[in-house]
Amino acid sequence: MHWCGSHCGRAASGMFQEGALSGLKVVELTDRISGQVAGSFCARLLGDAGANVIKVESPEGDPYRRSGPYPGGVPDPDWSGLFLYLNSNKRGVSLDIESPGGRAAFLDLVAAADFLVLGHNSSEVERLGLRREKLSEANPRLIITTITPFGLTGPNSGYLGDDLIAIAAGGMAYATPGIPDSVGDPDLEPPLRSNTNMAGYLAAVQGAMASVAALLSRKIQGTGCEIDLSMQEAVAAVMPFELAHASYHDPKPRKPEIFGVMPNAYLPCKDGYVVVMAVMEAHWRNLMDLADNPDWAELEVFSSGVERARNWDALEPLLLEWTMAHTGAEIAQLAQDRGIPCFPAYTVGQMVDSAHVTERGFMVDMQGPGGQKFQLPGYPVRLERTPWQLFRPAPKLGEHTSEVLGEWLGYTAEQLLNFGVGA
Amino acid sequence: MNKLPLEGIRIADFGQIIAVPYTAQMLAWLGAEVVLIETEQRLTTRIWPPFAEAEPGVNRSGGFNMVNSSKMSCTLNLRDPKGVELAKQIISVSDVVVENYSSGAMERMGLGYQEVRSLRPDVIYLSLGAFGRTGPMKGLVGFHSVINLFSGLASVTGHKGSHPRIMGGLFPDAFSGCYCVLALLEALYHRSHTGEGQHIEVAMTEALATLLPEAIMEYTLDGTEPERVGNRHKEKAPHNVFRCQGEENWVAISVENDSQFLALAQASGNPGWSDDPRFATPEARLKHQDELEPLVQQWTAGLQVQEVVEKLQNAEVPAGPVLDSGQVLSDPHMIERGFVQSPDHPEVGPRPLGAFPWAVDGGQPGIARGAPLFGEHNVKVLQELLQVPEDEFARLVENGIIS
Repeated sequence: MHWCGSHCGRAASGMFQEGALSGLKVVELTDRISGQVAGSFCARLLGDAGANVIKVESPEGDPYRRSGPYPGGVPDPDWSGLFLYLNSNKRGVSLDIESPGGRAAFLDLVAAADFLVLGHNSSEVERLGLRREKLSEANPRLIITTITPFGLTGPNSGYLGDDLIAIAAGGMAYATPGIPDSVGDPDLEPPLRSNTNMAGYLAAVQGAMASVAALLSRKIQGTGCEIDLSMQEAVAAVMPFELAHASYHDPKPRKPEIFGVMPNAYLPCKDGYVVVMAVMEAHWRNLMDLADNPDWAELEVFSSGVERARNWDALEPLLLEWTMAHTGAEIAQLAQDRGIPCFPAYTVGQMVDSAHVTERGFMVDMQGPGGQKFQLPGYPVRLERTPWQLFRPAPKLGEHTSEVLGEWLGYTAEQLLNFGVGA
Repeated sequence: MNKLPLEGIRIADFGQIIAVPYTAQMLAWLGAEVVLIETEQRLTTRIWPPFAEAEPGVNRSGGFNMVNSSKMSCTLNLRDPKGVELAKQIISVSDVVVENYSSGAMERMGLGYQEVRSLRPDVIYLSLGAFGRTGPMKGLVGFHSVINLFSGLASVTGHKGSHPRIMGGLFPDAFSGCYCVLALLEALYHRSHTGEGQHIEVAMTEALATLLPEAIMEYTLDGTEPERVGNRHKEKAPHNVFRCQGEENWVAISVENDSQFLALAQASGNPGWSDDPRFATPEARLKHQDELEPLVQQWTAGLQVQEVVEKLQNAEVPAGPVLDSGQVLSDPHMIERGFVQSPDHPEVGPRPLGAFPWAVDGGQPGIARGAPLFGEHNVKVLQELLQVPEDEFARLVENGIIS
């Protein structure tokens, strides 16, 4: 198999262990709006735990088949990097759910499933009739996990959104950069989003945990439920510390007051940027040791973390002299040897190539259609008994239509022809 | 109310600072009985700001109370073997152990997985580390900033031509915490029909790297490092935040196709934009963002944030307010949905927090109660649960084993 790396040796040998969710069936339907990364990755996470996931795509295919990056740089709907990542551990069925036959087949799949994962906006969920009251009669045990930009209820539920809108409306953009980094001039520096589909991944992991919690509830109560997950709230939910500031004191200004104990700072160094953190007295003394115990280290104004915060304007240029004389790697090495949490800003390449990432075998080795070698992130959790496995690569468009409709639903060859699938 | 999904599950919480406390809090909300084991000699968030009304006190920290609500607090001196012995007794009646001490610390205390398993063979034991529990960097000390910087996330965060920036919100802690919750729920489900416990290991740096598939793919294909692009997007324009009336007021606008752009042009009273060849197609708009953004900015600058959001949403253009954390907690939409809850607390009163980002059949999936006072449940845990006799309990208090 072309996609097997160090992290999935079992797949290479063709033997799989049972996952925690083995035997459970998932149907995923996402559309081309924001909810798509969230819905697709949520379903993938359930597949990662061994569930049998069916991704339903329209005949045109999932838009991420056309977003790249592509091995070799040549667009190919079966080799779009983001699609491969979001959709491994799934089988693919191609159905036009706007046609009566396609919709009937889709509803048959849903009736046979344990989970339905949706990534849409709320008006689309309503238009397609995918609410619990419509689906539970055919399948009362169905767990529906619906991820929308602002949720299915509430005054803003009709709003459209995407990752940027969720990061903004969930409070994350305003809070970025975060401590110990800080805004230079609030008038010049707008709130910031990271260039990733972060809100989508957040909502996906939370959607998966809501789904498994619902599975535990189903074990107790015997019935399924409808999970209504908002991407805005998915973002706000991972900021307990920012929310604590608002709840317990005052909302933090974008240009924060100096951290209460110093140094905890993000400073330029010889070849980039570095976090210098020595808020504990022992760390501070060790740090001053590294800086060859300059005379100023003994000054009364720097005698405690609180004093150092109070006199940060005087301390910062002195520390800068030291950081600018060293590379980030030197500072990290020196400091971490003494247990001081200092670290430089890595590039993506430095992270990927680090001995740590390599030794842990985190990345998954992939090979493109022309033999191009590349990697994708693996799974950040190691479960001893129910380990993460790459059971299968992302499906080609409609790859498993006949297999799934035949296996799950017992569709005959004749019925399959209606979907343009030769038996 | 229906039974909560984790009712009857007990968790021994050795969580430090944010990540694992956040994990265990979510499980407490879902009905688990969480015993937070605290050591007076090494308090963190309890003695860190923000404090209620800026007045310090071990029961007054928002940083503690907002990731430890709905738990019980039991204060044991884990530097004393007798304290460790009591911790073992708590573990032996618990289903789940969670910890994020530095690598090796639980083992040194005699509370590592192998020892714990002999007390409780079906235990589910989760260890979370900044860099994980194996590999050459397993011993490094890493707070959220270090994890941002190592994982590559900072390198894709920042303004064009400027340096890497650190995400706000202590995001790595909570995001890793979400992966922990998912893993624990899966492990509990597995145990519910096999009787098998297991060990779970999570690396925060790896959780963050799961956000970067495209950048990792491009680098490993041909060595290309990502450029920082501010709030821009490779396929959408305009895609940014724009200043509105007043100070520090911003609106986010994201346009991905021609019909949304036409709607933006009309809603903003600039129908001519859509005829301008510079803005006629998504490709043209991406190419001319430097000219397009100031035009949008000119329009939003004279309006309130909410006016812009409503005009654009009415025209079916994705837009939203840039909220600060105070505005998040007072947002009528999120309040109505039940996301914002205000559990009462004996010392600081009710304080709003962000609870579940999802509803179940229109209701909350669990209950957030107040955070425990320091040592509030010592009697309940040690005398009622572990049956430590009263005179022995008094002796343990006197000897500083119980704080």
